[in-house]
This record gives sequence, C-alpha cells and structure tokens, in this order.
Amino acid sequence: MAEQNTMIRLSGIKKRFRQKGGELEVLHGIDVEIAKGEIFGIIGLSGAGKSTLVRCINLLERPTAGKVYLDGVELTALPERELRQQRRSMGMIFQQFHLLMQRTALENVCFPMEISGVPKAKAKERAIELLELVGLADRTDSYPAQLSGGQKQRVAIARALATEPKVLLCDEATSALDPNTTAGVLALLKDINERLGITIVVITHEMSVIQEICNRVAIIDGGKIAEMGSVEEIFRTPKTKIGQELVYHEGSNREAYVGKLPHCYRVVFKGGISNEPILGRMMIDCNGVVNILSGNTRHIEEQVYGQMILQFPEEKELREKMIGYLIEKGVVVEEVEYV
Amino acid sequence: MFKEGMLALVGAGFWETIYMTLVSTFFAYLIGLPLGLILVVTDKDGIRPMALVHQVLGVLINIIRSVPFLILLVAIMPFTKAVVGTVIGAKATIVGLLVAAAPFVARMVESSLKEVEKGVIEAAQSMGASPLQIMLKVLLPEAKPSLLVGSAIAITTILGYSAMAGFVGGGGLGAIAINYGYYRGQTDIMYIMVILLVIIVQVFQEAGMRISRHSDKRL
Ligand SMILES: Nc1ncnc2c1ncn2[C@@H]1O[C@H](COP(=O)(O)OP(=O)(O)OP(=O)(O)O)[C@@H](O)[C@H]1O
Ligand SMILES: [Mg+2]
Repeated sequence: MAEQNTMIRLSGIKKRFRQKGGELEVLHGIDVEIAKGEIFGIIGLSGAGKSTLVRCINLLERPTAGKVYLDGVELTALPERELRQQRRSMGMIFQQFHLLMQRTALENVCFPMEISGVPKAKAKERAIELLELVGLADRTDSYPAQLSGGQKQRVAIARALATEPKVLLCDEATSALDPNTTAGVLALLKDINERLGITIVVITHEMSVIQEICNRVAIIDGGKIAEMGSVEEIFRTPKTKIGQELVYHEGSNREAYVGKLPHCYRVVFKGGISNEPILGRMMIDCNGVVNILSGNTRHIEEQVYGQMILQFPEEKELREKMIGYLIEKGVVVEEVEYV
Repeated sequence: MFKEGMLALVGAGFWETIYMTLVSTFFAYLIGLPLGLILVVTDKDGIRPMALVHQVLGVLINIIRSVPFLILLVAIMPFTKAVVGTVIGAKATIVGLLVAAAPFVARMVESSLKEVEKGVIEAAQSMGASPLQIMLKVLLPEAKPSLLVGSAIAITTILGYSAMAGFVGGGGLGAIAINYGYYRGQTDIMYIMVILLVIIVQVFQEAGMRISRHSDKRL
C-alpha cells in the first residue's frame, strides 16, 4: 500500500499491563495498515485484545513497543500537547456511549468543539447540522437519560464527527443495541463513510457486523493477528481455526452440531447460485441425501452469498461423489472439524 | 419563662449561627474543592497520576480529620489569633470551622468526583481535552448533583461543629445553649436551642437535596 493512501499504520504494537504478580502481555506485535476511506474491521473473541488495540490507535493506551502513524504522522513520537491536537482528527465511539449525562444532545455535540475553541455560535450551528445528519433533529434538547440506546449512539456519532475527523474508531458500537437498532447505526456509519469519506475502524465480536459494512477485516486472537484480508475472502475461505470459528458460528446455533456430528461441511454459494436448486440436483444426480443443519444468506460488498452447514452421508464413496459434484459447480466446500 | 431580651438574644444567636455556618462552609469549599480535585486527578487511575502529591495530601487530610474538633479548635488558637486577632466569638469560630471542615469537604468532593464514569473521561480524552478542560468541563459539571448533596451534608456537619464551638467561646446558638442551659441550669433554653438547631439542619438538608434532584438530568 502506498504511503499516501495509508490512513493508519500500526507497526509492531505490543502492550503489556502491569499486574499483581508480574506483567501480562496482551498484544504481541501487531502490524496493520488501514487505507484512507476504507471501513476496516477488527474481530475477535472476548479478551482477544480488540479494545486494547483500538485504544492504542489514539493512544488512550500507550503501547509498550511499536509505532502508530496517523496520515503519515507518528503519534507515538508526539509530545502530549500535539497528541491532543492530533486526537481531534480521530473520533471515537464506545459500546456504552459515554455521553455527558448533564448535557443535552446538542450540548454533547458542542463539547468537542468547545474543547478545540470553536466559537459558540458556529459550534451550535454545526451541532444542529450533525444531529440532522444522524437523524435526531427533533431531539436536540433531550438529555441522554431521555434517549434510547440507538439514539444515544447517534448522538455519540454526531459528537465524534464534530471536529471533522479523518478517522472514526468504533469499539463495539452496536453491541449494546438490538438487531434493528444495530442495522440502523451500521447503515449510518456506512453512509458517513461514503458521504464524508471518513476512514472507519470497527471493533466487534460479531461477524455479521463485519459483513454488513467492512471492506477488509483482521481477525485477532490471543493478542496476535490470526488472519487479515478482504471480508469476501475471509467469509468464503477462512484459513485459521479462529477464522472458521467466527465465520461458521455466525447466525446459527452452532453448538448444536459443530464438532458433535461427523461429516459436516460448510458450503458457500456465490451470487445467483444460491437461487438455483443446486443442492436438489446434486441429491438426485448422486442418488443420496444430505442433512441441512443451518443456512443463511449474506450481502458482502454488493455480492450475495449463501452459506450452509450440511451433513453428508456416512458412505465415503457417495460422500466424495457429492462433494466433487458441488465443487465442480463452483461451490466452496470445507469440512467442519469433528472432535 | 423568657426574661426580657431573651428573644433578642436568641435571634442574634440564630443569625450568628447561620452566618458562621455559611461563611465557613464557603471558605471550606474554597479550599476543599481544589484539594478534592487534586486528590482525584493525582490518584493512580486519575488523569494526571502523581503518587507523591496524592499521598502527602491524603495523609495531611487524614491527620486533620482525626483530631477531634474541640481539640483542633484549641490547638490552632495561635493561628486563629494571628488571622482574626481574637480566639473567641464568631470570627474566631469561623477560622476553626474552616480548618476542620476543609479536609472533610475535600473528601466529600473526592468521593463525588469519583462517581463520574471513567468512560466519559476517556471519551473527553479521546477528543483531545486537556486535564484542566476535563476538570472544568467534565468532572465538576457531571458530578454536580452529587456535589450538591455533599454540600448539604457539609453544611449540616459544620453547623454541628459551630454549636460545639460554644464550649470554647464560640458564638451562636451553641454558645447560648451552653451558657444558659449548661452553666446556669436553664434546661428549657437548652431545649429551645436544640430544637432550633434541628430545624436549621432539616431546612439545609432538605433544600440541598431538592436543589440536587432538580439539577440532575439523569432523571
Ligand atoms: N488496564 C488493564 N490492566 C490489566 N489487564 C488489562 C487491562 N485492560 C485489558 N486487560 C487485559 O487485556 C486482555 C484484552 O482485553 P481487551 O479489553 O482488549 O479485550 P477485548 O478483545 O476488547 O474483549 P471484549 O470483547 O470482552 O471487549 C484481557 O485479558 C484483559 O483482562
Ligand atoms: Mg472490548
């Protein structure tokens, strides 16, 4: 990636926390480049170090080692005062919103502008515009306690955009919201990315969030990047165990079968294939049946994907024939580990 | 039962008590509020951790707080004399009250400010707020309802101290209760003073709670 197209560059980020009885290394050397204008996802299980990693981007947490660059500027080398200046070009939103409870929505959005010395009248004007942008034009005088979770997150987004940042960092921004509200907030983030060209970093433990809005994704596991690539690539063929776990897990009652049944395979149909009765044909042509354990359809970067978990017959010859049939039709087939 | 002039005496004592309490509360906050802020800011998970400052200040506050009020009042008499030129009466009591109350206020302020969610402070930091901006625009305003409750408690505590100061030559209702009720055995006067003090405490406490509730936007 050419330097001038890179918005965020993390190089060799390590983070150790001092604890009772020694030190705990939470990040073991993370290298990531995030391009200007992209929506980059970071996904991992609880405790993987996702929050610690985003907090290293705006140096809420100082990395023990490594460098952080924002648009070519090395943040880790800046003195406090200049770092504060740079932070104004990075908005951040949180799972728990963290609004000022004693201020109205409007005053909350004005807050970062007060901090950076924008004249009051101008700040208010911009705050109203931003609240309009996030669809809360009629709630300017409400206090956070009077708003729903989704509305609070919208205020937080408006607040994060107030200083016209280049980057928006979202740490589990939708994890406290119900599915409908989540969809609304994600759509808003995508809209902001497209309209304002702001680079967005999305931290989540939900694959569906990544699939919904991200261009690229890094899977973090135990403080290391396990795999990284386009969302499409990782969705179709997750290479690592953790990647498979996150992708297969998604939207299905995975515990019910994964690892418990033999001969389970995950099949991914690209685009229109999922509309064709390909499975039915395969069963007729091969003269055998499969057991459908779960299935769903995803839209990733304007493409339609269908994924299913299928249990194939015990008989090896028939099984291989069926799998061969599907692969020939351009379907991705992967065995699900059986333990 | 009331001699002529008693009513005037009680009236004067009442206003003197109110005056001593409010003035010393004001000065106690003038000193205690910044100290409370410093305690929170310099704490190890504060926005400017400074272990030494935090500890020295904490120990100093604890020392003053652990001396019983009457003993403290007597012990600082030379200081009181130097500041207001006398060791008896309302003015002298105010000095004693604020010395005793400032550390108490500092602790009250500290505990109020600690109620402010850490995430909100981090959000402000992520926007590039300086420590001073965080203190003035986040910590104090967000803790306002709790600070107001604290100030009601502080006022009523200081009122109690001011009554005690009657023993060592302080003015106000406490002095009247002690001089007439205790030294001259006029228990009815003592009871009247006690009732008045109870009423004042009630009024301040209730007013403080109401203002706090009214100012709190968390509903
Ligand atoms: N301030 C801290 N001191 C000590 N350990 C910490 C600290 N912050 C985080 N950790 C540890 O670092 C590890 C990673 O934490 P982190 O919050 O980054 O995980 P996460 O991936 O965001 O998890 P979640 O999905 O639950 O939010 C955890 O084991 C956590 O206990
Ligand atoms: Mg987290």
